[in-house]
Amino acid sequence: MTAVAIRPRRIPRAGVWAASLFVAVVALAALLPAVLAHGSPSDVDAVAALRPPGAAHLLGTDANGRDVLTRIVYGARPSVLAGLGATALAVAAGTVLGLLAALGGRVLDEVTMRLVDVLLALPGLLLALLVIAVVGPGTFNAILAIAAYTLPSYARLVRAQTLVIRRSGYVEAATSLGLTRGRIVLRHVLPNAFAPLLVVATIEVGTALVAAASLSFLGLGPRPPAPEWGAMLSQGRDYFSVAWWMAIFPGLAITLTVLSVTVVGRHLQRRVEGRLA
Amino acid sequence: MTARRTVAGRIAARLGTSLLVLWGAVTVAFAALHLTPGDVADVLIGDSTVTPEVRAQIVREYGLDRPVPVQYLTYLGRVLHGDLGRSYQLHESVGEAIGSQIGPSIQLALTAFALAATVSVTVATLTAKRRRWVRGLFSGLELVGVSVPSFWAGILLLTLFSFTLGLFPVTGGLALPAVALAVPVIAVLTQVLREGLEIALDEPFVLTARSRGMGDLAVRVRHALRHALLPTVTLAGWLVGVLFGGAVIVEQVFSRPGIGRLTLAAVAGKDLPVVMGVVLVSAALYVVVNILLDVLYVVIDPRLRSAS
Amino acid sequence: MHNRSPLGLVIPVAGLLALSACGGTQAARAPQGGAPVKGGTLTFAVNTEPTCLDPHQSPQDVTGLFTRPALDSLVALDAKGTIHPWLATSWKVSGDQKSYTFTLRQGVKFSDGTPFDAAAVKANLDHIVAPATKSQLAASYIEPYTGSDVIDDHTVRVNFSRPYSPFLSALATAYFGMESPASLKQPQDALCKQVVGSGPFVIDAWTPKQGITFHRNRGYNWAPANAAHNGEAYADKLVIKVITENSVRLGALTSGQVDAIASVPPVNVRQVKADPGLAVDVRQAPGGNYNYYPNTASGVFTDRRVRQAFRDGIDFATIVKNLYFGAYQPASSPVSPSTTGYDKGTETQWRYDPAEAGRLLDEAGWTGRDSEGYRTKDGRRLTVRWPFYKAAARENRDTLTEQVQAEAKKIGVDVDVTNPPSIGDFVTAFTKGDYDLVDFSWQRADGDALRNLFSSASISTPTRFGQNAARYSDKEVDGWLSDALDTTDLGRRAELYAKVQHKVTDEAAVFPVYVFNYLLGESKRVHGIGWEPQAYPTFYDAWVVQG
Repeated sequence: MTAVAIRPRRIPRAGVWAASLFVAVVALAALLPAVLAHGSPSDVDAVAALRPPGAAHLLGTDANGRDVLTRIVYGARPSVLAGLGATALAVAAGTVLGLLAALGGRVLDEVTMRLVDVLLALPGLLLALLVIAVVGPGTFNAILAIAAYTLPSYARLVRAQTLVIRRSGYVEAATSLGLTRGRIVLRHVLPNAFAPLLVVATIEVGTALVAAASLSFLGLGPRPPAPEWGAMLSQGRDYFSVAWWMAIFPGLAITLTVLSVTVVGRHLQRRVEGRLA
Repeated sequence: MTARRTVAGRIAARLGTSLLVLWGAVTVAFAALHLTPGDVADVLIGDSTVTPEVRAQIVREYGLDRPVPVQYLTYLGRVLHGDLGRSYQLHESVGEAIGSQIGPSIQLALTAFALAATVSVTVATLTAKRRRWVRGLFSGLELVGVSVPSFWAGILLLTLFSFTLGLFPVTGGLALPAVALAVPVIAVLTQVLREGLEIALDEPFVLTARSRGMGDLAVRVRHALRHALLPTVTLAGWLVGVLFGGAVIVEQVFSRPGIGRLTLAAVAGKDLPVVMGVVLVSAALYVVVNILLDVLYVVIDPRLRSAS
Repeated sequence: MHNRSPLGLVIPVAGLLALSACGGTQAARAPQGGAPVKGGTLTFAVNTEPTCLDPHQSPQDVTGLFTRPALDSLVALDAKGTIHPWLATSWKVSGDQKSYTFTLRQGVKFSDGTPFDAAAVKANLDHIVAPATKSQLAASYIEPYTGSDVIDDHTVRVNFSRPYSPFLSALATAYFGMESPASLKQPQDALCKQVVGSGPFVIDAWTPKQGITFHRNRGYNWAPANAAHNGEAYADKLVIKVITENSVRLGALTSGQVDAIASVPPVNVRQVKADPGLAVDVRQAPGGNYNYYPNTASGVFTDRRVRQAFRDGIDFATIVKNLYFGAYQPASSPVSPSTTGYDKGTETQWRYDPAEAGRLLDEAGWTGRDSEGYRTKDGRRLTVRWPFYKAAARENRDTLTEQVQAEAKKIGVDVDVTNPPSIGDFVTAFTKGDYDLVDFSWQRADGDALRNLFSSASISTPTRFGQNAARYSDKEVDGWLSDALDTTDLGRRAELYAKVQHKVTDEAAVFPVYVFNYLLGESKRVHGIGWEPQAYPTFYDAWVVQG
């Protein structure tokens, strides 16, 4: 959503450390949830429903008596995967479009870039909703929808980077050495465009995460009983006045994850740009 | 003379881009219609039921018995005439459906924007080039601002200020939804503005102004701010997206009427004409906002003004 | 799309899924809180809204709620099942029970000035059954209707092809609200936006997603005979607001922004009751409970033993008590206790018995176990396919679903909840019988609801929609249901309906879950909110103490 270039401010070392640590914890939860939580995220226990946070259930239980902490830990995988998946898809498609525009001749460049302009003109979430109206709701479709609207910024970035590299001279040099176009792209263009792309992608994972959670919150992503943060929060709304923990903690999980990813991303951005400068 | 041509050229380029965006949006909508699985007439009807006569009328109006390029031109022609189609579930035209819901959404978006602009300009002006801890504190807040999902922020605001403290009305109020919508805008706008201000404050003309004995706040507001505002114009597209896309969620959380609720209901009910209509209207809004900002740009930019 | 037939199948989807409560059948309460006060605005907040305002077309009961203030019916029904005069002052049923002759009240005018007369009644009934109306509910309530004869200005005869005892109670619903014949001439889509009647209130404007506003109908003096007063309504203005978020709607009530709300979330009932300024009015809804219906015609549930094992092996009563904090009662019969003809015998006919459930499943041959602990037969897992359309789910039914899923696992049954992406996909599966289990509630005051639920003529086909979701077909049950149509003797009908309930319970053709209660939250400033069948609260007798 934020296709906005902001020069990153230096973030205190302690902040970067804390953020990295949190990202690591979320990654661990996504990969090996059983290490962090005991019990199953889907074990229903009607008797233990709506227990407030306490010794037995650190973050309380939900309306089905399921442990909220366990569900948040297990929810890391679908939640993070949606953000990562959408970003990966958008980076891949954006790279292809960007390369096509930069290397495919004037007409192709115009067509591709105008298409990108149009996509940028449509409000992101609305574009995602249009995609979902076409393909229907669901986990994969939500990823597709988010990729559709984050893709333009990557396409622009790759195109710009490629043009810079193309003009830099060593591509001409490579061409004169007899390398084919495909080889040049693979060997020289992509690796040079990669670092800035990765940095932007890291920051944008946060955006994609929020977007994915938003779609689940609206009931258009993964469906319960899947422990997904946005869906958990949505379920928690009805119980807010008696069980605030059902909605507060999943929201906190999303916010802290996005915050940490953004902090780490901006830190990387500063370092990479410092190196490039 | 040259400047006028520049302005004219800019406007011409902008109009060209605008037309392109609108045409592209129509094409995207048309593509969506044809990419949806199922017969196009059935896709338009969605989950409602119609008589065979109405169905035949749809086929005729959209030219569905003709080749796809003809269908495309037919659709383009309809949209050019301002006909966004009909929602068979809402029993009204898409234009009417959007027309009856757009008021509250625009009111919300404008209020959120006004709030965001006021807060951002104030905070950026007061914090640019200040002590480290001040900037650090606000940078931290801005980071949190861009990271908080608006649905969570909305629920927190509602709980705290309406349910617990009773300071704002639970329903029908504009303040809390506007705040929830404005939070990410404030976060980004403040960062961009502050950065612009910090660059501007290093410029020679600021030193000149200061040497003339101008007070610090006056320098910031009269000289530096104008320069800092320029880069924000490039944010227009993003801004429209955040305000319009964010409204979908904020309207849901606060049970407010508006385009967002209309769109969500349409997506859930597979009411594609409404979804397509909303996409077209939002593209048109994007174009209008961009043109307005271009005019504003000329007003703000001292170079363009003085040259004419 | 795939679910439409060339015949133009009319699907009362909303009727199936969106029907909410329709309150107990009690008429207005006796005035309380002092003498009624005239004036002021009464604001009521609801959780959902109609897709079409014309009750002749729409099957949603929220349509009844939105239009009842503006539309009068020929007769009114009270909690005891008694019919009272309204726009009809008296009526006679012919000897063969095939025609009803109504004498109409004189001096009644629609709010557009059109006089109400026999021709208007004929125009309304003809409009309901006209194919162009595409009525999704009302027309099915008078399916044997053959036409009306205008005998004189104030006498009309309604004819049926066969005896049809539920006619008068159907006529009392808001779906048979009398609209101005002049307005009925408009296209259907225009009627969906504005209806004109003779009721105590006149519609100012309906704005989708916001709500509807009314003003008092001056000169109104033709209230139903069972209303608490006659003459004009007390409130100057009536506002019905749409607030979909449960927490926001509740907050609007507790903060005093609205006078009353529909659907207090069960979890908050205690909180509202504890508030000295607020009260909860609980009305049990008549008609089909919130039930699960096993597909008795194909799949795992064709075996009666498997059906019984599922019903008796899951502790529905405990789940319901815990999830709804006692706001809804566990159900035992397919219909609610407030339905005419409810069989109390069903309450002791079955009970939670997991051991017996296990024995039945063994007996049915589901003796194997797979790695996940589910029962198998010939290497095939005991899987129950359940298309659950979440977007239409109310009252935290999705949470309930998850608990049932977990309970079923304990007896070795794999409940596979599929989420159809759209209502159209759900209806396709439903009409084709492509499911093992479906869930819905369906309110109707008359015991004839059982005919919709269990008559073999009510099984869906790809071209016709029916509510017999169990796809249950039994000659004896069909016979009893048809006999009940021929008699207006309430005792005899109750006897027949009890037999039906007993047999379908015995055969486990339905898994009753909970009895829906309409939970109305109201400020103590408000008095006299009444109730009527199908359409929830009524506001004719209501007043607000100002200040």
